[in-house]
Amino acid sequence: MKYMETRQTILVVDDTQFNRELLSEILGDRYRILEAANGAEALTLLEERGKGIALVLLDIVLPELDGFGVLEEMNKRGWIESIPVIMISSESGEDFVDRAYSYGVIDFIGRPFDTSIVRRRAANTIMLYARQHRLEEMVSEEIEKRERSNQLMISLLGQIVEFRNGESGPHIEHIRHITKLLLRQWNLRHDNAFTEEDISRISVASAVHDIGKMTTPEEILNKPGRLTEEEYRIMKDHAAAGGDMIKKLMERYQDPLLETAYEICRWHHERFDGRGYPDGLKGDEIPVCAQVVSIADVYDALTSERCYKKAFDHQTAMEMIAEGKCGVFNEVLLDCLREIGEELKRMLESGY
Amino acid sequence: MELLEELKEMGADIQDGLKRFAGKDTLYIKMLKKFPEAASGLEVMSYLESGQQEQALANAHTLKGMTGNLSLTPLYQGYTQIVALLRSDQPEEAKRILEEILPLQASMTACIERNG
Repeated sequence: MKYMETRQTILVVDDTQFNRELLSEILGDRYRILEAANGAEALTLLEERGKGIALVLLDIVLPELDGFGVLEEMNKRGWIESIPVIMISSESGEDFVDRAYSYGVIDFIGRPFDTSIVRRRAANTIMLYARQHRLEEMVSEEIEKRERSNQLMISLLGQIVEFRNGESGPHIEHIRHITKLLLRQWNLRHDNAFTEEDISRISVASAVHDIGKMTTPEEILNKPGRLTEEEYRIMKDHAAAGGDMIKKLMERYQDPLLETAYEICRWHHERFDGRGYPDGLKGDEIPVCAQVVSIADVYDALTSERCYKKAFDHQTAMEMIAEGKCGVFNEVLLDCLREIGEELKRMLESGY
Repeated sequence: MELLEELKEMGADIQDGLKRFAGKDTLYIKMLKKFPEAASGLEVMSYLESGQQEQALANAHTLKGMTGNLSLTPLYQGYTQIVALLRSDQPEEAKRILEEILPLQASMTACIERNG
């Protein structure tokens, strides 16, 4: 192991100084040794260093919190998955050993032990876990890469629509960002109703909320003045049209992303009082993801310059939404929007 | 090697000890020299006499571990018995065994200190 540049750390947990010294002597030439004299100290060190600790050598009989108590806590906090524990004890009764293994220890060394056994088992365990950590990292990198390219392609779709609208601004990015912030805020009130995966899926899908506009004639899309009643009716068709496009895909593919995208496309112009379109859904009939994107869309539309209007500043936009000038929204979402106000303002000012 | 020879005569299994320390007598001796101080704080007898069986057991348990790793075999065997006896609630028997091994522990300790 001479090629290893940084020495890895082993946490030795034993109430007897003699035992800690012995293990330090055995392992100190290869590893950095941290010592804890009781279970509580061990947990504190684990909390501070996390995976910075490559191995725990744990005695069973300890004051404060005993070895099993430490293991229980490590299980509860999910540390046992990533930080290996070898139990060392002169208790070699089957029940002790069994209990230790059932708590997820990787090995059990009986006392008195041979120093060479301790060295070998420590080295093997650390190597095994280092390999596992490396694999885990590789997998999560791979997933991240794939997600990024998915997100990119979906954003591209959204961008095509925006481009046809004569907009090249960061509309898509803004809506994605606001959607994410609103969902996190929503979670604080609803016991984390949305998982991180949900949040990621909804914010990715938000990019395509307007794909139905591909069916809207360009002269209506880019008309500088006020739309006639007939033109407005045609314009409004984009919500249902977007939903239909995705529905077609859903006949062939079943995927939560498509379902979310469908809900967002079709219902991002519904309003909480039932006066939106295309279906006139009311209140909770409108999926939360569509409600969130719709409020994000309104905020961004207000604060952006469009062919038919100038950009409002942050404060004015917030007031207009709160006063219901852009339709009625869920009160809870209005609160969420208020709470992320400062962040929205920063986003707007940074030109992101 | 004088220390190891003397301890061997008193019944320590030096061969076994050296094997445990992967043949490194310097580390073995270094750890042996820590024994007197480590053991001095571990009172089993007085806890037994004052009826604090839990404390007696904890200390006997620690001494069992240390003497085992140092291959101070007669002491290790004694403390192993004491631990078992205390677990099965036989403090009088435990005390008897302790009385038997304490003189040996004293002479082994003295020997280690003399050779320090």
